[in-house]
Amino acid sequence: MLQDSLRRFIYGSKGFRIRIPIASCSLAAGAGEVYQAALKAVDRLGIDAEVYRVGCTGLCFMDPWVEIAKEGLPPAIYANVKPDQVATIIERYVSGDLSGAVAVRFKQGGERIPSLDELDFWRLQVRFVSRNCGLVDPESIEDYIASGGYQGLRKALSMRRDEVIETIKRSGLRGRGGAGFPTWFKWRVAYEQESDVKYVICNGDEGDPGAFMNRLLAESDPHRVLEGLIIAGYAIGATKGFIFVRAEKPLMADRLEKAVEDARKAGFLGKGILGTNFDFDVEVYRSAGAFVCGEETALIAAIEGRSRPRQRPPYPATSGLWGKPTVINNVETLAHVATIFQVGVEEFTKLGTEKSKGTKMFCVTGSVNRTGVYEVPIGTKIKTLVFDIAGGPPEGRKVKAVQVGGPSGGCIPIELADLELDYESLQSYGAIMGSGGLVVIDDGNCMVDVAKFFTGFTLAESCGKCLPCRVGMKVLSEILEKITSGQGTLEDLDLAQELGESIAKTGLCALGGTAPNPVLSTLRYYKHEYIEHVLNKRCPAKVCPKLVNYYIDPNLCRGCTQCAKVCPVGAISGSPGKVHTVNTEVCVKCGQCFSICPFGAVKKV
Amino acid sequence: MRVVKVYVNGVAVEVPEGATVLNAIEKAGYSVPLLCYLDGLFNEATCRVCVVLVNGRVVPACRFPASDGIKVTTESDELLRYRRTNLELLLSTHRIECWSCSRKSGCELLALSKQLGVEGIPVCAECPLAGDSCLVARGEPCLGPLTVAGCSAECTRNGAPCTGCRGFITRPEVWKSAAEFYREHGVDGKKVEVAMRFFWASVPDHLKKIALGGAP
Repeated sequence: MLQDSLRRFIYGSKGFRIRIPIASCSLAAGAGEVYQAALKAVDRLGIDAEVYRVGCTGLCFMDPWVEIAKEGLPPAIYANVKPDQVATIIERYVSGDLSGAVAVRFKQGGERIPSLDELDFWRLQVRFVSRNCGLVDPESIEDYIASGGYQGLRKALSMRRDEVIETIKRSGLRGRGGAGFPTWFKWRVAYEQESDVKYVICNGDEGDPGAFMNRLLAESDPHRVLEGLIIAGYAIGATKGFIFVRAEKPLMADRLEKAVEDARKAGFLGKGILGTNFDFDVEVYRSAGAFVCGEETALIAAIEGRSRPRQRPPYPATSGLWGKPTVINNVETLAHVATIFQVGVEEFTKLGTEKSKGTKMFCVTGSVNRTGVYEVPIGTKIKTLVFDIAGGPPEGRKVKAVQVGGPSGGCIPIELADLELDYESLQSYGAIMGSGGLVVIDDGNCMVDVAKFFTGFTLAESCGKCLPCRVGMKVLSEILEKITSGQGTLEDLDLAQELGESIAKTGLCALGGTAPNPVLSTLRYYKHEYIEHVLNKRCPAKVCPKLVNYYIDPNLCRGCTQCAKVCPVGAISGSPGKVHTVNTEVCVKCGQCFSICPFGAVKKV
Repeated sequence: MRVVKVYVNGVAVEVPEGATVLNAIEKAGYSVPLLCYLDGLFNEATCRVCVVLVNGRVVPACRFPASDGIKVTTESDELLRYRRTNLELLLSTHRIECWSCSRKSGCELLALSKQLGVEGIPVCAECPLAGDSCLVARGEPCLGPLTVAGCSAECTRNGAPCTGCRGFITRPEVWKSAAEFYREHGVDGKKVEVAMRFFWASVPDHLKKIALGGAP
């Protein structure tokens, strides 16, 4: 049976609603044009329908998508819609023809189109915090309230502060930003500090390559994050909250700012919230955008006007922003807090594993058919996420490894695909949950090259304060450069291992402490690839340019001369109609001949 | 004032609350290497050579607060490895020009590299001859700029050019910088090479290729 509130969001007040997700991701895919086209189409066709802006569902591979729902017809979902198709789609739908739809939200009769619940990528998800994503208008506080929003805050405010903390303790919620620190513990420490001024900060910095669940959540359901922040503020007795957002994510910041404004007008912020004597206000802070700002002490410093991490302890919960007790929680953690108070602790604790309760949003990118953000219970197996939900690698490719946790995480070989995604098991295999980015790496990738990429990233993002990270990462990336260009020695591998361990142990903040992880984890599982680079001067995946040679297969070459024309150094010789050859001594390995050959005759060896 | 009890290498000491692990270590009569720390001026814990184990965790002694009952270990193979790695990293970015540096024997890097056995600082850092009295400045093929420090420069301070008995520094940057120094003073590269033959038959090719000396 469909809940009334859900029905209301789907069909709208007019009984006919066309919902189009508008978020940074879908805008990039062209949702803006589709939205305009839909407005025009409705106008032209003279239909009494609302064209409704909603948040993103996280199914990136279907962007831009359109969901059309008219009373009496099942709500149909159309994927990868082009602006010029919109009018036709609407016209057909109105006439009852659902062809072209990839799914219906639920079935009404005997449609042949599958419902969302029949599709693996939806069925296997448990949408706990992302329940509203793609359903409600993120810029409308009314929508959020209609979905049960701010009920959690009302419930929390009717409790004593320590009862609120106790509730979160009972839920077993752990930080969703990376380390998995118990949320209640931070709150308890900050709550027990005696100070007239305390702060709560929502960490929305999210800088990992391949992680965007926080942005998606805050853009699609900003009030949920805000409600969580207000509850956290109440729990510890704070007077002010900050939402720290990367300046590179303007839409996220704009929507949060709008949410704060609306909440203030509605009396959820300000003096005497909901008739209690709790005063609280929130400011959205746009950071300058450095990866290190996601580290809590650096984040605090950034708000104060400097931006470098400092040695902990003291932990922010005892001495944080301007020396006051400060609790910092991730966007997703706070959304969980709000949801837990809305629907009850039991709904949360029945999900997840013994040690880690609830769900986690994962961004699955890389070599998969269905790139997207998926919310699954903690403890879901890697293979479920990669193969069943994200659809596995494109045809002809084999998955080799998954990189979990971004540049601070590690590579886990696909042989361990039965591993359950939770904080402890990931850590024991050399990776971290991180914010939940999961990059799928296929057999076309060289693991040394992957390690080099992530090392290059952290090297560029190192703030330069402590020595091991500043100089050590530089040396580490030089070693990798040496190995990938065929100059490496076996001693270099030992040196990389020793240096990596030293950086991990002595780095000042979490960035330095986890920066060598990609190198250490690839050395652990893919040492044979390193050795192949060093001893045989070969890159098994044929990725590292300096270790790849090109040759032309005489059986396939038709002598079209295209390769010889495109070669910038004249390394290819041959006359029209004759087999061409590559002079490897002159060749600079730019790969242009490889990509231009129409017959696939140019081969890498 | 409240005091906390800390065990440093098994020795119990009491320090006031708010003191650092370093204070406790010093009170217990032990020491740790220090570089960036300067009492009362700087304790941002950036150089990471003062690392110690607190209940098995690697932390910088200069900054980490002492708390009740913690067990501090100041020496172990693991710690030595980290300290050496970090000092080596620091030296790899340090412009070695000890011959024209005024720190000489007051150099903390020198003291630390001797203590931890990290090679990279030349004999010049210990040699009292400077300016016009420097043997290289007088045109002698003294091997001081290329030789591992640690001998207190006994030969040169008595007027004899260094013959490199302690072995050569393996870092090419130091060789390049020394070559510049020889060239500046017009020391004949051939003479330097002759001097090298006595102890350094094994200089690897990539270092040999760096031309030492010659007229500027």
